[in-house]
Amino acid sequence: MFVLSPLDFLHKLRVQLCRPAAAEAGWLPVTQSVRHGSKAVTRHRKPIHILKQKLLAVTKYVPPTPVVPKGAYPSERQEVKEESGFVLLLKRELKKLFQDYKMVAVAQNCNSNAEDMRILKHRLHRHGIAVKFFPNQVMCSFLSDSVYSNMAPLFIGPTVLFVSKEPKVKEMLTSLRSSPQMTLLGACIDNTLLSAQGVVSYSKLPSVSVVQGELVSGLAMMTAHTASMLQRHPAHLSALLQQYVKQQSSEEAPKAEEAT
Amino acid sequence: MAATLYTAWAVGGLTGVCRVNGHQQGPLHCHLKVLVAGLQTYEIPPDYSDVVLPAKPKLKFVNKVPNLKKPKREPKKLRDIQGPTRGADSFTQGQYGIVALGGGYLHWGHIEMMRLTINRKMDARTMFARWCISGPYKPITRKGLGQRMGGGKGAIDHYVTPVRYGRLIVEVGGKVELEEVKHILTEVAKKLPFPAQVVSRESLAALKKKHADMEQNNQNPWTFKQIVQGNMLGIRRVVSPFDVHHCGRFSGKFHFPGRV
Repeated sequence: MFVLSPLDFLHKLRVQLCRPAAAEAGWLPVTQSVRHGSKAVTRHRKPIHILKQKLLAVTKYVPPTPVVPKGAYPSERQEVKEESGFVLLLKRELKKLFQDYKMVAVAQNCNSNAEDMRILKHRLHRHGIAVKFFPNQVMCSFLSDSVYSNMAPLFIGPTVLFVSKEPKVKEMLTSLRSSPQMTLLGACIDNTLLSAQGVVSYSKLPSVSVVQGELVSGLAMMTAHTASMLQRHPAHLSALLQQYVKQQSSEEAPKAEEAT
Repeated sequence: MAATLYTAWAVGGLTGVCRVNGHQQGPLHCHLKVLVAGLQTYEIPPDYSDVVLPAKPKLKFVNKVPNLKKPKREPKKLRDIQGPTRGADSFTQGQYGIVALGGGYLHWGHIEMMRLTINRKMDARTMFARWCISGPYKPITRKGLGQRMGGGKGAIDHYVTPVRYGRLIVEVGGKVELEEVKHILTEVAKKLPFPAQVVSRESLAALKKKHADMEQNNQNPWTFKQIVQGNMLGIRRVVSPFDVHHCGRFSGKFHFPGRV
C-alpha cells in the first residue's frame, strides 16, 4: 500500500497515484509526473516556440514603399508663408523705387570693402545715382507680382541696385569700370529691360537732342533741296524739267509696248 | 522689437561715423553694408482663459494599505498585468500625462516617488495634477526568510496596484504647455517599473492613429489573425487563446509595438 505523500510533494510534482483494480488488469507506472513550464506572465521574455517564431516572422508588418523616394521631387503643395511687416515695408519701398527712378541697374558685387563701397557711392552720388540694397527673396517675390517679372533671373547672389532719376548710363559705366568688384548684370531703363551689352550700346547712343536734330534735318532735307534748286539759274531748272519729261515719255513707251 | 532697435542703433552709430554728403539717411539705408537683420516676429501665446484650476492642485496622498477590516489573501492572478487596459486610457481633465507602455505593479514606494517629485516640481499656481490610478489594493504575500516550501500561503507583505499597457498613470493640466511639464513627467516616467511615456492629448491620439494606419496600410498579404483564426498548419497548437485574441501583440506583460 503506497503511503500518501506529504502535501508539499503534491503541490510540486502533482504525482498521480494509480492502483490497478485487480492484479490481472495490467501494469501501470506508480508515479506519473506532469511537466509545467513557467507562467504566462513572466519578468523575462519567454522563449517562443519555433513554429510561433516562424508565424511571427511571416506575419511581420510590411510598410508601403513609396513609388518616388522622399525628397526626390519638391512637394506639390507650396507653403504660403505670411510675410512679415519688414518684408511688406521693403516691398512698398521697391514699388516707390520703380515708380520714381527711371534707371534701375543691377550689379553683382564680390568682396567689396567698406572703403571701396564708400568711394563708389561718392562717385555715383556726384552724378545723382543712388546705391540700394534689397534682399533677393523680397526682390524676387516683388518682381513676380509686378510687370518686371523678367528681371527676376538677375537677382542671384550678392546684388546691388543702382538707381537714378535720369538715365546717366555713361557716368555709371565709367564709375563701375573703376571698381573691379562690380559686374553689371542688367538694367531697366525707361521701362525697357536691357542686358549688360544692351546697356553698353545704350550708352553709345547719341543724346536725345542730337537724335531730334537728325530727325528734323532728315524731314526737312527734301524741302531744303527744293529750296536750293529754286535758288539756282532758271535755265538750269528748265534743262532739268526737259530731262524729266524725256524720262517720263521713255518710261511710258515701254509700258505701252508691254500693255499691247 | 529688440532686434530692430539694435539694428537701428547700429545703423545710427555707423552712419554717425561715416557721413556721406546728401545721401538719404534712414533706418533702411546703411552706407557701409547690407542690413541682413529683419523684424522679430513673435508667436501669439496660447489662450488659457477657459482653463479652471481645481482648489487642490497637487497630487493627493495615497494610503499604503487599503482600509479593510479583514484583509484576505488573494491568489497571484498575474493576468491583471497581461494585455491592454480595459479602461482609463484617455484623458479626462488634464492635458498631459504618463501612459504605461507595458504591464507592471506599482507599489507605495513608486506612488510616493511620483507624488513627491511632481508636487515639488510643479507650479501650483498655474498647473494641477491628478491621479489616474487608485491606491494599492492587491495584497502581495511573502513568507519569512529561510522558510522551506509548504506550510501554507504566506502573510500579506504589502499592497500593489496592477497596471496594464495603455493605462494613464497621472494627468497634469493647467495654464501650461507641454515643454514646461515634460521634464517633470519624464523624470517620473523613467523611474516606473514598466516602460512609460509622456503624452499629450494630441500625441496619445497620434499613437492610436499610428497603429490604426499600420493595420490599414500593411502590405503583407499574410496576417497573424487570418492564419490563426483559420488554424492554418495547425498553428493553434503553439498559439494560446490570449494570443489569438490579441493577434500576437502581447506576450506576458510585454507589448510589441511593431506587431500589427
